[in-house]
Amino acid sequence: MMDERLKEMDERIRELRRVAEELKDIGGDIEAVRRNVERILASVRILELNICDVEDLERDV
Amino acid sequence: MEERSIYWNPILERMPRERLQELQLRKFKRILRWAYERSPFYRRLYQEAGLEPEDIRSFEDIRRVPKVEKGMLREVQQRPPFPYGDILAVPLEEVTAFRQTSGTTGTPVYQADSWQDWEWWSECWAYILYAQGYRATDRVFIPFGYNIFVAFWAGHYAAEKIGCEVVPGGVLDTQARILKMQELRCTAFMATPTYVLGMADVARNKLGIDPRELGIKRITCAGEPGASIPTTKRRMEEAWGCPVYDHIGATEIGAWSYECTFQPGGLHVNEAFFLVEIEDMETGELIEEPGREGKMIITAFDRLAKPCIRFDSKDVIRWADYECECGRTFRLIDGGVIGRADDITKVKGVLLAPTAIEEVVRGFPELGDEYEVIVSKKGDMDDILLKVEIRPGYEGSREEILARLRDQLRLKTNLGYRIEVHPYGSLPRYDVKAKRFKDLRKRE
Repeated sequence: MMDERLKEMDERIRELRRVAEELKDIGGDIEAVRRNVERILASVRILELNICDVEDLERDV
Repeated sequence: MEERSIYWNPILERMPRERLQELQLRKFKRILRWAYERSPFYRRLYQEAGLEPEDIRSFEDIRRVPKVEKGMLREVQQRPPFPYGDILAVPLEEVTAFRQTSGTTGTPVYQADSWQDWEWWSECWAYILYAQGYRATDRVFIPFGYNIFVAFWAGHYAAEKIGCEVVPGGVLDTQARILKMQELRCTAFMATPTYVLGMADVARNKLGIDPRELGIKRITCAGEPGASIPTTKRRMEEAWGCPVYDHIGATEIGAWSYECTFQPGGLHVNEAFFLVEIEDMETGELIEEPGREGKMIITAFDRLAKPCIRFDSKDVIRWADYECECGRTFRLIDGGVIGRADDITKVKGVLLAPTAIEEVVRGFPELGDEYEVIVSKKGDMDDILLKVEIRPGYEGSREEILARLRDQLRLKTNLGYRIEVHPYGSLPRYDVKAKRFKDLRKRE
């Protein structure tokens, strides 16, 4: 059960990163977009530490 | 669902030990490669040791990675980019926050953090506060002079992240802080043990308020070991009528250890975010068994702007020979930090090196060679008495000399002193090793 939730959360977090980076690209030189996406990505990174690192480990075992 | 409610992240906090160690090894390799590729300081250090990131394949290999000492952090600051030196692993423009160590052991170490690092700092503290029962229903008062020292900054951000309402008690004096806590019906606060006791004293004796009537439900301590010293913890808990929890962190490292609501007598090491190694102080041998004291070598896995890899903290700790009933698989250290590998000690929450006092005293040609420092407890507060001698011929300038001495001591050590002048030649003289620094505070 937890394995399934972990996998699902991992997928969503990766999606968050992908969408945020796309938004940053589209925003180009608009600082209000770039800087706020940077902050979002910093939060995404913390989710990765909490969830994706574990899922990576499980996947490779 | 109910069982999970005591954990900030049950996936990491309850991870089987074997898996947790696999995760630690992976994360160690990742931060080592990050530093090697981006920080000239770390690359030099590892290349000089003939070490490449791919050489690390096991926990045993980690022991081959050179340690970093505080002096190295000071030296590297002489290199560009100003003011951090080439230990930086991100471009300077990505640094968003400056903090520094107190500088009582020498030149302060400047700490660079990116926004990513601040997210990490507050996440580390979220683990701490959640484990100590902080919830969105708490109104948290922070009686801390928000400044260049890291202290409770991350505690502030973490409390916000948890959803608490945070009241920053920055520039208020102690009485005003207590009255504000009363007015706002705050439910928790964070302070050094000395200040926790000092606030209780002011509440009782200056304001006629019983601290137990203020409705505080939990207190988190930092900066001094008091919350892990049973008698001091008990004194604080009796004064405020609530649990007092300890946590340990440092500017160069992060917040790496915490007591949980089960209060087993030790602190959990956040092993998902840090690698703690305990090393024998004489032989350097790795200590795995409980109960044996050694100095801590620590790695922060996820701190990026100024990585902290195998930092020789000089903190003396020991693994606990008991487990916590909370269910966390993170190992416990028994009784918090139980000392320092060098002579540095904490007074009034500030790291104090006897050498820093010596440096100041000996810088005054009007003062004799001998001096004595006595640290003791006056009530609940630390007290520092400095005994000096004035050389013959300078007695007429006594008050001016002492005023300058106080200023210099404050500047150098961030502490205030009581100063006694003794007749020239009357202080103890030593033939071999001097004992000029006496810490009369007793731990039980």
